[in-house]
Amino acid sequence: MDQLKIDFDKVIEGLKLSDENISFRKKNFNQFVENGFPNKRVEDWKFSDLNQIISSNIENLHFHSNFAPSKIDEAIFIDKFAHNKIVYLNGTISNVDFNHEDDTKVLVTRDLSKNENFKEVNPLVSLNNALTASYIRVTVKENYSSNKPLIIYNITTKDLKSTALNLKTDIVLEKNSSLKVINLFDDNSENNFINIVQNFDIAQDSTLKNYKIDHKINSNIKYCYNNINLEKNSISENFILSTGSKFIKNEINCNLNDEYSSAFINGILNLTKSQHHEIKTNINHLAENTKSYQLIKSVLNDSAKGIYQGKIYVDSKAQKTNGYQLSKALLLNENTEFDGKPELEIYADDVKCSHGATSGNLDEDAIFYLMSRGLSHQQSKELLINGFLLDAVEKITDEEIKILIKKMIGITE
Amino acid sequence: MLQIKDLKAKIDNKEILKGLNLEIKPGEVHAIMGPNGSGKSTLSNVLSGKKGYTVSGNVTYLNENLLDLEIEERAHKGIFLAFQYPLEIPGVNTNIFLKTSLNAIKKAKGEKELDAIEFLKLVKQKAAELKFDEKILSRQLNVGFSGGEKKKNEILQMSILNPKLSILDETDSGLDIDALKIVSEGVNALRSKESSFLIITHYQRLLEYIKPDFVHVLINGKIVKSGGSELALELESKGYESLS
Repeated sequence: MDQLKIDFDKVIEGLKLSDENISFRKKNFNQFVENGFPNKRVEDWKFSDLNQIISSNIENLHFHSNFAPSKIDEAIFIDKFAHNKIVYLNGTISNVDFNHEDDTKVLVTRDLSKNENFKEVNPLVSLNNALTASYIRVTVKENYSSNKPLIIYNITTKDLKSTALNLKTDIVLEKNSSLKVINLFDDNSENNFINIVQNFDIAQDSTLKNYKIDHKINSNIKYCYNNINLEKNSISENFILSTGSKFIKNEINCNLNDEYSSAFINGILNLTKSQHHEIKTNINHLAENTKSYQLIKSVLNDSAKGIYQGKIYVDSKAQKTNGYQLSKALLLNENTEFDGKPELEIYADDVKCSHGATSGNLDEDAIFYLMSRGLSHQQSKELLINGFLLDAVEKITDEEIKILIKKMIGITE
Repeated sequence: MLQIKDLKAKIDNKEILKGLNLEIKPGEVHAIMGPNGSGKSTLSNVLSGKKGYTVSGNVTYLNENLLDLEIEERAHKGIFLAFQYPLEIPGVNTNIFLKTSLNAIKKAKGEKELDAIEFLKLVKQKAAELKFDEKILSRQLNVGFSGGEKKKNEILQMSILNPKLSILDETDSGLDIDALKIVSEGVNALRSKESSFLIITHYQRLLEYIKPDFVHVLINGKIVKSGGSELALELESKGYESLS
């Protein structure tokens, strides 16, 4: 913790901040210091003891780094796929490019004082509030649909070690607007802690599609907190491909604030070795006629651990809610573990809510069937696993991005 | 082509096949009939290599010890089992599965694999022969198929893979008379001097359409009687009781 205090002072010194902002950061800093990294005694973290995970994977964690941003390897950018870019390189925003958009309709600010709009919902968000040096807000103006997707690249290079990065993105969709976002991790570093807080304010009649891809195998520890506010008749579609990091917890807090808003959260955990990934959702139905759908598919190999905690809260005002969640897991090895914790908290009486969970092994009879047609055991297994994952991928409504993600996970058509 | 000598098979310590002998020569069609629980499906499972059985005895297929071969190696060497209950495989496109299967077998034989266009041409032709709606092939493998569609899909796979020894495990069950005719025509079209068939069935009905050279009666894990196609008719009128 001494290191933390020294690093905090360095961060404050390095940024030109207003007094208000400094006191906001100090308040958040103290909040984190009081609580520390969450451990398994905290209910939300009972399946993932982050304190223990960090101490056993990262030696001498630093909270401040003064890397001169190295040059970006352009090969990292997705080819033959027109897109806008925000590039975080080792935690610093190094490139912002909205060339495909009308610059009076998509506005970008990096004013650090806006950071103060973020509430202190948990110690990790407080840590982010206290330390972040890279904040960006993208506002899509009323009645504007962005032409091309925005890819937020999160790149780390191999010289980054034992460092905590705190990144923050704030996306605002004004009325009747739309945006597609891909959060793409490209980690070439080892043993860092990456703490990402993202906020999405989606105004009436607007649509946000947000695809998160953590696919490259790496030894970093990650926490991603998404807060989503949905207004009347707006849509939030989320897809999480969670296969790359040593540990990652994706937490989504989604507020359906007004009528006819809907939220979709679909995801894949595809894990090997000792990977440990969690998806945690809080869907808050706060108005009538709101909808939420969640489908999480997990494939666990070796001694991997997968967790899905999905909570649906229905306020007494939120009549005619539709809330649905389903989790299916394939456990390919007896050393794997899957923990599912569905929670329904319902205070309205005219609602349709359901949850379901299954877990099991591959169907041996199906393997026999495929092998009897000349496929090897490995081919049969891969075909069945891809088939198992496919219905989560098929939920992606953007065809171009769906094809991109299918390619990444090796589903061919 | 296939010689089975004193074949015994156990599952969960229960002996199902108790010393079965059978020889099938190239070009022959053999039918095995028998009551429920006589070991018919076990025989087809053991011949195609399903795990879980303790097997003894000798099975020689094209001069090789069949029991030493893995499931997929048997398929590569021309053994095909048309399943009694074809599995539903969610998320796997039927066409992709067919192409993967055909090319796996071609590769193992050292033949040139088919590209997408060549494959589609072949599938179109075979599907038309079996009056099988091609649209079904873009769906997930057997998922939501009717009983008849599943069985036709088995015969379609058989005709695409062009096996040397085809084992049909109660392919007639669950088929209406029209589907039965189409399936039988599909099988008859594949009959040749080089290809052999082992047809497992409860009823004589299928054998009206696919005329066997030999009929065997399997009761309690052993073949108790063999004869020509007339034996099937005899069984139909007298039942299995008379033989047990």
